Amino acid sequence: MNKVDTVFIIDDDPITVFGIRKMLMAMEAAEHTESFANGQLAFQKIQQLIETGGHLPEVIFLDINMPIMDGWQFLEAFTKLLCPRPIRINIVTSSIDPYDLQRFEGFKSRTRHLLEYRNKPIKMSDLQEMTRAA
Amino acid sequence: MKEAKVQPRSFLIAQLPNPTVFLNAELEVVHASDSLIRAFHFDRKNLFGRRIYEVLPQAPEHLIGVLRRCLEGAETDKGIDRFISSDNSEYWYEYSNTPWYDKGENIIGVILQIVNITDRIKLELDYEKAQILLEAKAVNARIGSWEYNAITGKLTWCDMTRKIHEVPEDFEPNIESAIEFYMEGYSRNTISMAVYKAMESGTHWKEKLKIITASGKELWVVASGKPLYKDGIYVGLIGTIQDVTEVNVSNQRSTESENLLHTVVDNLPLNVYIKDLESKKILVNKSECAYLGVQDASELIGKSDFDLYDQKVAQESRDEDLFVLNNGTPILGKETISVQKNGKVTHFLTSKIPLFDEEQEVYGLLGLSMDISDLKQKEGELRELINVSSQQNKKLVNFAHIVSHNLRSHSANFSMLLDFLANEQDVEERDRILGMLNDASENLLETLENLNEVVAINTNVRLEKKQIRIHRAVHAVQQNLSGFLQTHEGVIHNEIPHDATLQAVPAYLDSILINFITNGIKYRHPDRRPEVRICYEHTGSQAVLVISDNGIGIDLKKYGDKLFGMYKTFHNHPDARGIGLYITKNQIEAMNGRILTCSEVGKGTTFKIYLDEQS
Repeated sequence: MNKVDTVFIIDDDPITVFGIRKMLMAMEAAEHTESFANGQLAFQKIQQLIETGGHLPEVIFLDINMPIMDGWQFLEAFTKLLCPRPIRINIVTSSIDPYDLQRFEGFKSRTRHLLEYRNKPIKMSDLQEMTRAA
Repeated sequence: MKEAKVQPRSFLIAQLPNPTVFLNAELEVVHASDSLIRAFHFDRKNLFGRRIYEVLPQAPEHLIGVLRRCLEGAETDKGIDRFISSDNSEYWYEYSNTPWYDKGENIIGVILQIVNITDRIKLELDYEKAQILLEAKAVNARIGSWEYNAITGKLTWCDMTRKIHEVPEDFEPNIESAIEFYMEGYSRNTISMAVYKAMESGTHWKEKLKIITASGKELWVVASGKPLYKDGIYVGLIGTIQDVTEVNVSNQRSTESENLLHTVVDNLPLNVYIKDLESKKILVNKSECAYLGVQDASELIGKSDFDLYDQKVAQESRDEDLFVLNNGTPILGKETISVQKNGKVTHFLTSKIPLFDEEQEVYGLLGLSMDISDLKQKEGELRELINVSSQQNKKLVNFAHIVSHNLRSHSANFSMLLDFLANEQDVEERDRILGMLNDASENLLETLENLNEVVAINTNVRLEKKQIRIHRAVHAVQQNLSGFLQTHEGVIHNEIPHDATLQAVPAYLDSILINFITNGIKYRHPDRRPEVRICYEHTGSQAVLVISDNGIGIDLKKYGDKLFGMYKTFHNHPDARGIGLYITKNQIEAMNGRILTCSEVGKGTTFKIYLDEQS
């Protein structure tokens, strides 16, 4: 088991956050997990970590439909940051709108980070791969 | 005989009116009438005492034989002979000779009378020729003749008349049987009356009637007849009968087909016209008359498009005509727009086809125009409908994604939580999961209620709009929200004129007002007392409701496209649910209205709601 140090969960739904946390704990996949209710809060944290040279998460779980700053807006902002290493970002959504999938493909081809697209619900069996560091 | 020879010329003989010559036994000329001398251009000095065949060398030889026989006592002989004169002319003579007796009944010579009958013979020949020609004509034209002799009561039919009646040669017609050939009814009555009147009052007749022949064939005939008089006394009838069945039938056929063509052309639901080389109308049908608003085709004949349409349309039409007339090729199914002098606009599907005469020269064109104005209008309506439908469809797909997304997110939570519950041993943790399941269930219910509301708005598009006095409506909402306003120390400025009205669905208008007012107050600026100002404007045919607040404002550059989206919230505010503006927008659109937003972060937001005045 290749345990990662830090996982960020960005989702406004407390139940989803609870679920992911619980599964991560059960698998002992991460030392730390931190959750954010929208993209803006997470972005601010990452920005701060880069500035201070703090430890960036290896894996991010990202919801799309969120208030204030949604998943796409977060990606837009995040991919512009000068990140010292690539990060695995799992987009987790209940959207089956083909337009969302298109936007994902667009981001995936333009960034050095590792982007994945998953529909909810997340299963324990999927999580192993999703927590492998990029 | 010697006596006769020397007998001096008698004046009596000289004056005989018919050319006469007295010959002695030697056939020498003894006497000759002046008429004979004139007729044969004889030389008086060289005539008497000479033999007849010497003075008449052109006489046929057998005449001499006849004369000799006469001398021997043969009875009077008569004959017609042809004489060829010295100039090769042909003369016909009738001669008669009789023995010349002396007192003692002795034959002393021959009296010969020679009459020039050339003219009569010629007439007879002409008559014969005429007969033959007449017969031939009668056969060709199928004209038969008949004659009725009133004295003998005998009716005579010529061969053709028999042929027409299809009776054998030995058939003996009479007036009664002849009349019976005519068809019972009109034909027979007419001919009976005509014959009767002709006998009684001498009138002529000529009638087209039907007969039934001996073999039972029905024929059309032209029967004509007139009475014959001799010295003013009626002696019979004479007439003709002509078989015109074939002519009649073909006439009838061409009349029928002409009528049919006329009926077809006139009743086609197309404007049909024929134009000459100068684009002047020479034929128009009823549709064309009706379209151009005239009672009778004669009002259009001879007119050109320049007389009927505006200059531009007429010129275009003339150009088309010239193309067809000059090239001899048709224009088919072209969409054209005609503008009449009174401004009436009609869309046509027009075809122009060149017309050729027997020499294959174009002499005009046939025009066919179908009025497709209704089709055009329907096409426009259809296009409009397609626009609306495709927009509705887009909205529906969007809504389907929203529904799918919202329901899926809840079901995903359920499935995840149930999975945890199944594997969880720890009682405390199980309680926590159950609590979350409860939350998930409540969230799902709320989502369903919201979706229901949206569906209700979109299905009740035909909800009745009413004329609403908007000042009063705002006042009522203000009353309803008084508790909420008190809690938040909010103020509403109702700046709408008392008499202002607008067309809206009352329930929607209330919901819209409540949403904007509560939003404006909920998202208040922390430094100032929340105020909402409501005004009324009027632009064109639209009433505009302007709702402005002094709240925190929204960054429209960031959130503009999502402002009215479902479950989109833009503030870190615990009450933000992301459904209010979505529903508001749906309600405004359901009333055919639209919404415009202006906002400045930190200053406030203004919503302008445009509603059509017509319901």
